[in-house]
Amino acid sequence: MLPLALSGLAISFAGLAEPVLTIDRLTLPAGGRLAVTGASGSGKSTFVNLVSGLERPDSGVIRWQDTDITTLSESRRDRWRAANVGLVMQDFHLFAGLAAVDNVLLPARLAHAATAEVKARALALLSRVGLPRPGQSVETMSRGEMQRVAVARALLRRPGVIIADEPTASLDAEAGAEVGRLLIELAEQEGATLIVISHDERLTERLDRRIRLAAGRIVADTAPEASS
Amino acid sequence: MIRFVLADLRRLWAVSLVIVLLVALATALGVAVTLQERALRLGSARAADKFDLIVGAPGSETQLVLSSVFLQPAALPLMPGEVLTKLAADPRVAWAAPIGFGDNFQGFPIVGTTTALVSGTTAGFTEGRMFALEGEAVVGSGVDLPLGAEVKPMHGAAGEGGETHADSTYTVVGKVQPTGTAWDRAILVPIQAVWHIHGLGEEHEDEAHEAEEHHDEAGEEEHHHHGRIDADAPLVEDFDHDVPGLPAVLVKPKTIADAYKLRQEYRADGATRAIFPAEVLTSLYATLGDARTVLMYVAYGAQALVAAALMLIAVIHVAQRRRQIGALRAFGAPRLAVFGIVWLELLLLVAIGVGAGFGVGYGAAEFMAGLFTAQSGVRLPVEFTAADGVLAVTFLIVAALMAALPAALAYRQSPVEALRG
Repeated sequence: MLPLALSGLAISFAGLAEPVLTIDRLTLPAGGRLAVTGASGSGKSTFVNLVSGLERPDSGVIRWQDTDITTLSESRRDRWRAANVGLVMQDFHLFAGLAAVDNVLLPARLAHAATAEVKARALALLSRVGLPRPGQSVETMSRGEMQRVAVARALLRRPGVIIADEPTASLDAEAGAEVGRLLIELAEQEGATLIVISHDERLTERLDRRIRLAAGRIVADTAPEASS
Repeated sequence: MIRFVLADLRRLWAVSLVIVLLVALATALGVAVTLQERALRLGSARAADKFDLIVGAPGSETQLVLSSVFLQPAALPLMPGEVLTKLAADPRVAWAAPIGFGDNFQGFPIVGTTTALVSGTTAGFTEGRMFALEGEAVVGSGVDLPLGAEVKPMHGAAGEGGETHADSTYTVVGKVQPTGTAWDRAILVPIQAVWHIHGLGEEHEDEAHEAEEHHDEAGEEEHHHHGRIDADAPLVEDFDHDVPGLPAVLVKPKTIADAYKLRQEYRADGATRAIFPAEVLTSLYATLGDARTVLMYVAYGAQALVAAALMLIAVIHVAQRRRQIGALRAFGAPRLAVFGIVWLELLLLVAIGVGAGFGVGYGAAEFMAGLFTAQSGVRLPVEFTAADGVLAVTFLIVAALMAALPAALAYRQSPVEALRG
């Protein structure tokens, strides 16, 4: 369970005059549930990339508990992310040709972190997200089932934070509701901080706090003062 | 990682197959050339193994070897028959046997010789026995004739306006063990029969004149000299008088020192020449080696092209997999793991290709060797040596180095940009 503290964050892309994202200050307590909304191009994806350590800001601090990930090298950010962040993305990014359980285990295996305990946990998580056949090949699954595999994968290494980028956008309403419910339940159960980027109101309204981005700035926050 | 690599290759089976095929064909080309050249060298050396010293009339040494060891039809100049008389009586000679060619039957060369040569160059009979009468013949293992078959000699090659000696017939009485040489395709008959068919020897013709005529007119021997064999005449193999002109005599010296002395002696006198076939072959190998070098450069060129094509495919492939690679990184795969996956996939494909290429190259060399054997009788041993292992390892090392480039591209790729795409 990791608390987040952002300050003085700014990032620009070459060729664009305006910064893509500017956040003066944002904090989220450990175990907090944050929804980030906004139109496309508002900086939502950049937000995900920054807080997950995929990208480094031009300036500012991104502190997860005691670690300012902006000071880490790319390889160390990779390691930090592998150990602390569970990512769920709109496009699932499952690997065809591998069984569900192998997909869940793949990042851990590639990082040489797939112990017997981790393998047992992979099976337990698949069963928890309602997939009784861990050996099923992912390309034979429905989109809802695929995203549930991705949720299990995100939770495998007991991350301190779960970051979901439009987790329900490519699912039908029913499957989306199921995935949303699982994310919230599991984050609570596992004691993980949860950040969901989504424009799916049925999902975002179930989270404690919602911020809205427009043109790279926070333009609305359901709890502007409570956080600081 | 291996499991992921295998799943990935299965998913990309079409591209993988193309890469494997490209590598396999380029490898096979080089392997086939190497194996084939080696087989030719070994095969011809083995074929010449039993031919210690050959004495013939002055002329091309290469042609003398090709005609006597490999039974390649050609018109050889003749030397006086006394040479054989002298050699047969020489104390340094274990045995000396005439080799008389010119006739054939169904494409198999008919070679007139002696029992000494048949016993001296073969490992005995698979069936039947040695010829004992003038009208009997012994066939090589590659001659498709049963015992008792009748052989009607034909002069010159069939299809080239050859002519049969209609009234002369040999009967096959024995078949010798395979030797892996051109002589496996030969029909061996008593030399006296060959002389009689061509009207030589017993007619007491002027040998010098005869030799001269043969010398000039080569293969197109004069038709008016035809005689016939006396099928039931006993063998005469003393060669102590009135021996007709001969194209070649195979000499088995008693010792190596004798061999060198004999060669010296029969080379010096101007009327004959004496050669060690092994030595002549050595110079032929040099030519063969040059041809091999040229072919190897062609193979290297093909391999370089394939390598370049592979690099292209690999780089495009990495570009196409940006999202997948980016996702791997995003989900926590270390950069080195990403490098390893791309590197291992390429290396695995190349390794499979190289392995298949060695198989295909071997198969092709075997196939060509088979064709060659069917045509010439010379068995070509297609075999790998340690040098081929070195070649395979070299291929793999080069592939490992080359695969590092796309792998490094994947390693350096930013996951964010990849996922954004």
